[in-house]
Amino acid sequence: MRVVVAPLSGFPDGERRIVEVSGRSIGVFRVGESFYGIRNRCPHQGGPLCLGHVLGDAVADAPGGAAIVTDPLRIACPWHGWEYDLDSGQSFMGGSMAGVRSYGAGVELGGSLLETATARPAQRVPGPYVAETFDVSVEDEYVVLHA
Amino acid sequence: MSHVETSSGVDVRGVRPVELVDCDVHAQATEAMLAKYLSARARRMLERYGRRTPRVTEWYPRARNAGMRVDAWPGKPGQIWGSDPETMRAQLLDEFGIDYAVLEVLSGQDCYDDPDFAAEWNSAVNDWQLDEWLGFDSRLRGTIAVPHEYPELAVAEIERRAGDERFVAVLLPASAAEPLGARKYWPIYEAATGNGRPVAFHTGGYVDHRGAGYPSFYLDYHVGNGIVMQTQLTNMVSGGMFEAVPGLRVVLTECGVAWAAALIWSLDAAWELMREDHPRLQRRPSEYIRDHVWFTTQPIEEPDDPQHLVWAIEQAGLGDRLLFATDYPHWDFDSPKQALPRALEAPLRRAILCENALELYGLPSERPV
Amino acid sequence: MTDVIDCDVHCAPESYDALFPYLSDYWRQYITEAGIRLNGVAHAYPRGVVAPAPPSYEALAEHVPDLAILNCVTGFETHRNPYFAAAVASAINDWVRDEFLARDSRLRASVVVSTISTDDAVSEIERVGEDPRFVQVLLPVRSDLPWGHKNNHAMFAAARDAGLQIGLHAWGRAGKAPTPSGFTTTYLEDYLGNQPIAQAQVLSFVSEGVFERFPDLRVVVSECGFAWLAPLLWRFDKDWKGVWREVPWVKRRPSEYVHEHFLFTTAPAHLSGDPAAIDQVLEMLDGPGILVYASDYPHDHGDGLPALMDRLSEEQRHELMSGTAAKLYRMTG
Repeated sequence: MRVVVAPLSGFPDGERRIVEVSGRSIGVFRVGESFYGIRNRCPHQGGPLCLGHVLGDAVADAPGGAAIVTDPLRIACPWHGWEYDLDSGQSFMGGSMAGVRSYGAGVELGGSLLETATARPAQRVPGPYVAETFDVSVEDEYVVLHA
Repeated sequence: MSHVETSSGVDVRGVRPVELVDCDVHAQATEAMLAKYLSARARRMLERYGRRTPRVTEWYPRARNAGMRVDAWPGKPGQIWGSDPETMRAQLLDEFGIDYAVLEVLSGQDCYDDPDFAAEWNSAVNDWQLDEWLGFDSRLRGTIAVPHEYPELAVAEIERRAGDERFVAVLLPASAAEPLGARKYWPIYEAATGNGRPVAFHTGGYVDHRGAGYPSFYLDYHVGNGIVMQTQLTNMVSGGMFEAVPGLRVVLTECGVAWAAALIWSLDAAWELMREDHPRLQRRPSEYIRDHVWFTTQPIEEPDDPQHLVWAIEQAGLGDRLLFATDYPHWDFDSPKQALPRALEAPLRRAILCENALELYGLPSERPV
Repeated sequence: MTDVIDCDVHCAPESYDALFPYLSDYWRQYITEAGIRLNGVAHAYPRGVVAPAPPSYEALAEHVPDLAILNCVTGFETHRNPYFAAAVASAINDWVRDEFLARDSRLRASVVVSTISTDDAVSEIERVGEDPRFVQVLLPVRSDLPWGHKNNHAMFAAARDAGLQIGLHAWGRAGKAPTPSGFTTTYLEDYLGNQPIAQAQVLSFVSEGVFERFPDLRVVVSECGFAWLAPLLWRFDKDWKGVWREVPWVKRRPSEYVHEHFLFTTAPAHLSGDPAAIDQVLEMLDGPGILVYASDYPHDHGDGLPALMDRLSEEQRHELMSGTAAKLYRMTG
């Protein structure tokens, strides 16, 4: 289903619109020349995700040395602050591969419990919570949501 | 018009059974909203010197959404998150079908201004609840804020408010100048119990960080709310306040629940080793906790395996001691629809969502619509 | 094959006389003039209820299993003069080396360091850390600032360079009220107070990024219990998901760092009397692999440990009694 959200000229950079489509609330965001569509419902406890802050990632190689990178952009739920990639809906607060935490019975004695069991991820680990995303296109000077 | 639920019909008497009690909601007053209740002297003190107690949000800024649900901002002049009854009614009571909500107004909790001011400030909190909230919606209940470091003044405030049964508890902070089980505070507990009210200890207050020292981050501070209450519960039990005030009921509020079992086991083990040195403790710590201690659920712990939370609740014997709470409008708000794991079976869920609260606070199990 | 590695055994000099050979003229005079006496860490281990730690090898010898790690917490009771604290720490390490380590190859020890000067802690680690009989740096759970704080990172670097782990042990200076509000008045509260304090320290190591900076560092939490860990991690993970931006160097869930970098001695084993509940606690901990055996001799915490051991398989028991510690401390034989 294609829904016209707004004329392009009426949708400035940095703004968002929330639309109802077939009983679903969906947020459409403009960042520069890019548009994103994401369900206005946080997978965690159902909060109105699209009312949250849009933030660049905060990255630090070492304690105290943090910088903001504007790509990827994340949207933070206005309730608990859980964040989702605005483009893909993926969250990145996940657990590492299974097996890292299996220190009990079943772990082979030969393998050291105390060696680093997995390579440390340079990036954050994708998590199980994923917000539903939608395509947004610009057609004839109109912003169109594909829901 | 009333909100009609399909699951529980409205009968001809115009009542519905109660299904959801929210035991920790924050109506939040601005300074102006409370100042109008002050005497001229106290108002002048406030205008000239401001509040003398440092705000804990200055030590540990709430690193997410300023500590609030972003969508709880009323957008009305002079109003802040949680200050507008209409916004709360729509966003909380009506949205989730809440039958009763217990307001805990924290403005007076960390009041270390002078005693007279502290007494007036807490009294203002209670007047504000009466004027703006308790009459506004019959679903709302209040808690009696008291100047806890000045027990005589606190007792006077309890006596002043006890006649209005819409005040269902006495409110204290989870941290104070002395450990909460100290004898200094016993007159407050006696007055609360004598007036049929439990004492709710709410996370916050003047949290010092002796022991391990001051953490650097709000993250540690926030997780530490559960740690603080472990220390306080230990002190409450060992100090003998449950012996001294036999009918006392306490509600440990907004500090988590899953830590209780391990602490109970430790308390019992330590008591076994040292019981001869604590003759005032006639019973095991776990028995005192069983008889005297309730917990609100928020912020509910979320283990990867929800069954583990159920175990933690069962290990501590808390099935009839847990009280559901949202903590609206704070950022770590628990949704009544989503926060409790599906692993909770229906009878336990019902107990947590309303039955335990109805019993503790003596609330009617039906209410008019 | 090592059957039992005891990860926390206590020893302590009876008086400063035992340390005099390792102290300068100046400090001997200072101690004498000020009338400073070792109290045997009376605040932590009151003589009326707790047996004194063995002050000599003879007093200890029969309690040593295949391998034991000596923790002398005498240094926890030194006062706030940082120069004195450094001098006493060195003296203790020398005394432990001569009195115990030199006389029994089954013994290992923690390096005692000043807890109020990072520079001095670094110096002492550099002084004795190369001795393979010293296996970890002893820190008290009670501190002025949580141990993860950046002020301490140079000490962790020194430990890493010397191949030492961290032993985080119950108690600390008696002068600090151990609670978030007010003073305790009974030993029972002080005794149990180590557990919430240890919890706060666990948070600090993770949130301050210690394990991002020092990926090989491990911390053995000793005499602080362990049954409290799983619920703490549930909360820690959940809160981190909300406020991670405050600590963006914490790249993974806090519980993962804890499971990779922390071990906990089995003292005190304060558990339910119900075996099913013990099983649940073990499952909540992802198994017993995070536990290492300690007698905590001569301290008595009741008899919770046998009930725990009863729930373990033979393999798990072996890991707990020696396997895990052997790998941690790279012990052989």
